[in-house]
Amino acid sequence: MHLSLTEEQRLIQSSALDWLAAHCDFRQRAASLHRDGGAPSVWRGFAEMGWLALPLPEAAGGLGGGPVETGLVLQAMGRHLVVEPFRACVVQAGRLLALAGDASHQARWLPGLMDGTHRLALVHSEPGDRLPWQPRQTQARRAQGGWRLSGRKRMAVSAPGAAAWIVSARDPDGATQLFIVEPGATPGLQVDVFPTSDGGRAADIRFDDVAVAGAAQLGDPDAQALLHRVLAEGLLAHCWEATGAMQAVLEQTVAYTSQRRQFGQPLGAFQVVQHRLAEMAVHCAEAQAACEIAALRLARDPGCALDQASMAKSKAARAARFVAQEAVQLHGAMGVCEELPVASTFRHLQAFAGQGGDAASHATAYGRAMLASGDFATSRTLEAHDA
Amino acid sequence: MNLDLDAADRAFQQEVRAFVATHLPAASREGLRRNTMMYAEPHVTGPWQEALRQKGWLVPLWPVEWGGTGWSALRRFIFETECAVAGAPMVHPMGVRLVGPVILRFGTQDQKQHFLPRILSSEDYWCQGFSEPGAGSDLASLNLRARADGDDYVLDGTKIWTSYAQHANRMFALVRTSTQGKKQEGISFLLLDMKSPGITVRPIITIGGDHEVNEVHFDNVRVPQANRIGAENAGWDCAKYLLEFERGAGIFSPRLRAQLKRVHLAVLASEGVGSWTDDYARRFGEVAADIDTFEWLELRTMGGLAPGANPGPVSSILKLRASRLKQAIGELGVDALGLDGVRWDHGDDGSPGDAATLVREYFNSRAYTIFGGAAEIQLGLIARTLGA
Repeated sequence: MHLSLTEEQRLIQSSALDWLAAHCDFRQRAASLHRDGGAPSVWRGFAEMGWLALPLPEAAGGLGGGPVETGLVLQAMGRHLVVEPFRACVVQAGRLLALAGDASHQARWLPGLMDGTHRLALVHSEPGDRLPWQPRQTQARRAQGGWRLSGRKRMAVSAPGAAAWIVSARDPDGATQLFIVEPGATPGLQVDVFPTSDGGRAADIRFDDVAVAGAAQLGDPDAQALLHRVLAEGLLAHCWEATGAMQAVLEQTVAYTSQRRQFGQPLGAFQVVQHRLAEMAVHCAEAQAACEIAALRLARDPGCALDQASMAKSKAARAARFVAQEAVQLHGAMGVCEELPVASTFRHLQAFAGQGGDAASHATAYGRAMLASGDFATSRTLEAHDA
Repeated sequence: MNLDLDAADRAFQQEVRAFVATHLPAASREGLRRNTMMYAEPHVTGPWQEALRQKGWLVPLWPVEWGGTGWSALRRFIFETECAVAGAPMVHPMGVRLVGPVILRFGTQDQKQHFLPRILSSEDYWCQGFSEPGAGSDLASLNLRARADGDDYVLDGTKIWTSYAQHANRMFALVRTSTQGKKQEGISFLLLDMKSPGITVRPIITIGGDHEVNEVHFDNVRVPQANRIGAENAGWDCAKYLLEFERGAGIFSPRLRAQLKRVHLAVLASEGVGSWTDDYARRFGEVAADIDTFEWLELRTMGGLAPGANPGPVSSILKLRASRLKQAIGELGVDALGLDGVRWDHGDDGSPGDAATLVREYFNSRAYTIFGGAAEIQLGLIARTLGA
C-alpha cells in the first residue's frame, strides 16, 4: 500500500500547477469565457502538455493515465477555474470513444483529439435526470442499414463547436447504444446554444427522427457498462476539479481576511472568522480525501465506479457548497461582485453541484447500495482484492 | 498512491481476523453491544485484554523489549480495523496508551519495572486526573496543590470528569507543586494509589444516565515523592507528550464503522421500521461516505507514522471529524427510530435494549466534541495552521 503520491504523480501535479499559473491566471481567463472550446491558445497548450492524451488508454495511442493522474490535472484546472472543456471533451467523450469505438472510429477521431485539432462532446443528459446513469429516453431504431434517433438532450457541455458528438440512446430492446454524430453533416438537428454559469458553453439538442449511418454505432451490442463507467469517471474527475477551486478560494479567503481591517484589526483576528476559516479547511481536506479514495478504489476495481462516484459526489458537493458560501460571506461585499475571483468560484462550484446529479441524489444512491450489499460494515479500503 | 496490500500484510490481516474470530470472548462482544459509554466497563474490556496479552498483542505501541509488537503503522491500522469490525471493545487506554508511554519516556528504571508489568497484566487499572472544576480547556490553570512534606507530597483539591475512578486502583495526575512563574512551569506528574486515605470518589451521572465519570476529592492525601514521573515542576512536558502520543495512537475510523453497523441493526430491529425510506437511505449514504472519507484521511495520516510520532496539526482535523461523526451516526439512529427513540428502559437484567442503548449512546456522544480538546479548541488550532 502506497499512501502518498508517486514521483510521477507529483511531476504531473507540479507541471500542471506551473503551466496553468503562467497561462491561465484570472485575467487571462477572461479571454476564454463563453467561447466555443475556450481560448484556442490555451487548448493548444493543453495538447503540448500531453493532457489531451493523458486519460486515454495506451492501446488507443494515449498516455494511459488513471483516475488519480487525471484527477491531479483537473484539480490544478479547478484552482484556475479553467473553462476549456478538457473534462467533457477528453475525460468523457474521448475515453468513451477510445473504449467503445472500433479501430476505424479511433483512427478517425483520436489523433485529432489528442493534438488539439478538433473536439468531441458527449451528448447524454436528458430532462428529468437525477443520476447520470438512469435509462435514456432518447430512442434509437434501426432503419435502412442505419439508425434513426428521436429525443431531447439537455445541457450538452462543450457540444457547441465540437466536430463530433457521442450520443447515447436506447434501442427497442432496451439496450444502450452510442452513436457518433457529426453535427455539421447531419440534417434534422435542432440545437439551442447557451452560455453556462461557470463560463462555458452548452447546448440543448432535439433529435427529430435524425438519420445516422450504421457505421456511426459504437460498442455494439450494448454499451451500457462502458457508458456508465465513463460517466462515473467523469463525475469523479469533476469532483477533483471542484477540490482545486475550493482550495484556491480558501487560500484567497485567508489572505483577504488577514488584509481587510475593521474595528481596528484584521478580520482574521476575530475568533468567529478564524473558526469559519478552519471549518472551510476541514471541508477542503475531506473533499480531497474523498476524491483520492474514490480514485484509488476505482483504479483497483472498475466495477465499483458508480458507487465510488456517488460517494465522492455526495461528499465533494456538500463540501463545495459550504466552502463557496463561506468564502463569499467572509469576503463581504467583495464576495458578491466581479472584482475578485471569489464570485466566479462560487458560480463554478454551483455549476459543479448541478451537473451529473445533485448531492442528495448521489447520497441516496450510495446509501441504497450500501444498505443492499452490507458493504458499509467492513473496510473496503483495506479489504484484500486479488488483482 | 495505491491500495494494494502486500502478501505479508494480507497474511497478517488474515491472522488477526482468525484470532479475533476465535478468541474474542462472548462477554466482551456482548458487553460492547450494550455499551453506551465512551469506554466499556472493566468486566467487558478485561477478558479481551487478557486474550490480547496472552497473544502478545496488548501493547503494540510499546518498545518490543517491554512487550510491544514492532508492527508498522499500517499493521496497527489493520489490527484495529479487524478488532473493531468484529465487535471487540477498545482496550482501556488509560494504562496502555496514556500513562504507559509516559512511564516509558520519562520514568526511572525502577518505575518502569514496577508499573509496566502491572499494566500488561491488568493488575493495575488506571484513571486520569487532569481536569479540575476550574481547569477544563485551559488545563494548565489546574490547582490541585501538592505540598512537599518529608518524602511525601500532601495533596489537597479536586479532580473532575475522572472516567472510571470508581474502578481504578491507580491514578496518574497533574498537580500543582509551584505557584511561581508561568502556570505550566509549576505542574508535576504523579502516580498515586486510589486507596490512599483522604481520597473520596463522588459519582457524576452523565446525560445518557451512566456512571462513567466522577469527581475525586483529595483531603490531605499523602503520595510518596518517589511516585513522581520526571522532575518536579516538569509535569507539563509529560502531559504534552501524553496528549501528543494519544493523538498518534487513536484510530477512530474502525470504531465509527462498527457504530454504524450497530445503529443500523438497532434500527432494523425496531418495531415498525421494516424498510428504508429514501430519507434514511440519503442520510445513511452521507454518513457512509463520511466514514469512507474519514477512514482514508486517517489511514493516509497515521499509516506513515512511527510509534509515538505525532501526526501534527492534521490531528485536530481528525479529532474534530471523528467526534462529529460519532454524533452524526447516533443522530441518524435516533431519528430513524422515531418513537422508539424516546425509550429509556432497562431490561430485566438491568441493561437497556437495542433501541435504548442507541439512544443513550447518542446522548453520551455529545461529550465527544467537548472532552480531549473541545471542537472550538481544535478549530482554533486548525485556523492557526492556515495562518489566519
